[in-house]
Amino acid sequence: MVPLLYYQLLSAALFGIGLYGVLARRSAVLIVLSIELMLNAVNINLIAAASYLNGIGRVIAIFVITVAAAEVGLAFAIILRMYRNRGTVNVDEINLLKW
Amino acid sequence: MNLMAMSRELLTAYIALELLSFSLYVLVAYGLREARSNEAGIKYIIIGALSSAVMLYGLSNIYAALGTTYFSGIAAALSSPATDNPVLWVGLALLIVGLGFKLSAVPFHMWAPDAYEGAPLPVTAYLAIGSKAAAFALTLRLLAEAVAPAGDRWADWQLVIAVLSAVTMLVGNLVALAQSNLKRLMAYSSIGHVGYTLAGIAVLGDDFALAAKAVIFYLVVYAITNLIVFAGLASYYNSTGKDNIADLAGLADRQPFTAAVLAIGLFSLAGLPIFAGFTAKFYLFAAVADGGFLWLAGVAIFSSLVSLYYYLQVLRQIYIEPAAPESGTEGDAAAEHGGGHHDAEPEQDSLPVPMLPRPSITLSATMGVGVLAVIWLGIYPAPLLAVIEFASSAILPMG
Repeated sequence: MVPLLYYQLLSAALFGIGLYGVLARRSAVLIVLSIELMLNAVNINLIAAASYLNGIGRVIAIFVITVAAAEVGLAFAIILRMYRNRGTVNVDEINLLKW
Repeated sequence: MNLMAMSRELLTAYIALELLSFSLYVLVAYGLREARSNEAGIKYIIIGALSSAVMLYGLSNIYAALGTTYFSGIAAALSSPATDNPVLWVGLALLIVGLGFKLSAVPFHMWAPDAYEGAPLPVTAYLAIGSKAAAFALTLRLLAEAVAPAGDRWADWQLVIAVLSAVTMLVGNLVALAQSNLKRLMAYSSIGHVGYTLAGIAVLGDDFALAAKAVIFYLVVYAITNLIVFAGLASYYNSTGKDNIADLAGLADRQPFTAAVLAIGLFSLAGLPIFAGFTAKFYLFAAVADGGFLWLAGVAIFSSLVSLYYYLQVLRQIYIEPAAPESGTEGDAAAEHGGGHHDAEPEQDSLPVPMLPRPSITLSATMGVGVLAVIWLGIYPAPLLAVIEFASSAILPMG
């Protein structure tokens, strides 16, 4: 069997890619996509751990999938409102609230 | 929120946290046509989702290292010297990062001023009071049950939390000095209060009782005081629709009850005696000093002093600055020095001070009860402390 460490490394790599996406993307839609990627990296970690430790990790993973879906729905509702108000989803352009 | 405070296990805590956060994301973006509300909503949900993903990754690492997510299981694993898994440390650190976002502790606080300023005023009040108290209940429970029993390993984490607390206090209070918007000022002020409370959490140790009681008492006082301050701000906003500090000029003449309530609330937040804020800060800083973190108590006292300045700025606008006349003419220098005297200049006399409508019944009742509570707790906190002792002995492990 593949050691647990490999799954954890895969999860860490995906998490890092997702984090880069959140920090470097300008479109709000792509930022939400990157957050989804991070949550899926967490799921890989949980399921791999559950397979090796025979614990409740799979149940946690199902909870996480549900919560991620709900979060994305909410995020898109707010982004849609922004698009309707301004005509763009570029997060660089929202800068009314400063210091 | 109650689910967060009740959770003994990381998954329950996460689900409860998300449930609270989702409601708040929508509420902050509730002003559909206002640009600021929209922007606050976007910033809050993106940063909030990022932080919950980080916290979840920490949770998954803890689970992968230990096979359990119960707080007692984490405590058992940390107490035994055999556990030396670096994955566990990463997991705990990321968990604390995620909680720090929710609490708006300092390296993770950037969402708070924007979310507080852009959200509608009642939502700002709810964010400042409800979500912060719930997040603190969770943090207190998590650290007291899962990490603090671990003895010498806890000492390392204590230092981390103490440094976080010191930075939070300093940044929150120093940046607040430069603010001109009331809601943004309250955001930075609540970041400062988070700093004080984190200092109390950092000293949870051998003497659980004192530190835990002090933290819970501080949270109760913080909740009541912020309630009356936001109620006062809401009654002002309902009358005029403005939320900058400079717009508060002359409130003492225009809406005297609101002005008095705001004064009492801000004095209590600053920690002046006979108000509950003094008693709360006294207990908290005494607990911090008893816990051995004298430097932290010193930083806390210094930041508390700094915070008095910006609260007094608001009070200066309310009580000393003359109310702007309807025609917008500037008062003379003599009139400004004379304060509220209306017979200083003939030009001022001809324009009567525009009185604002009285606050609504519910706001007045809230403010009245809150002010009584603040003064009562400031002078005679013993009954509340007895209740807190009973509650904390039931939920936190003693010794």
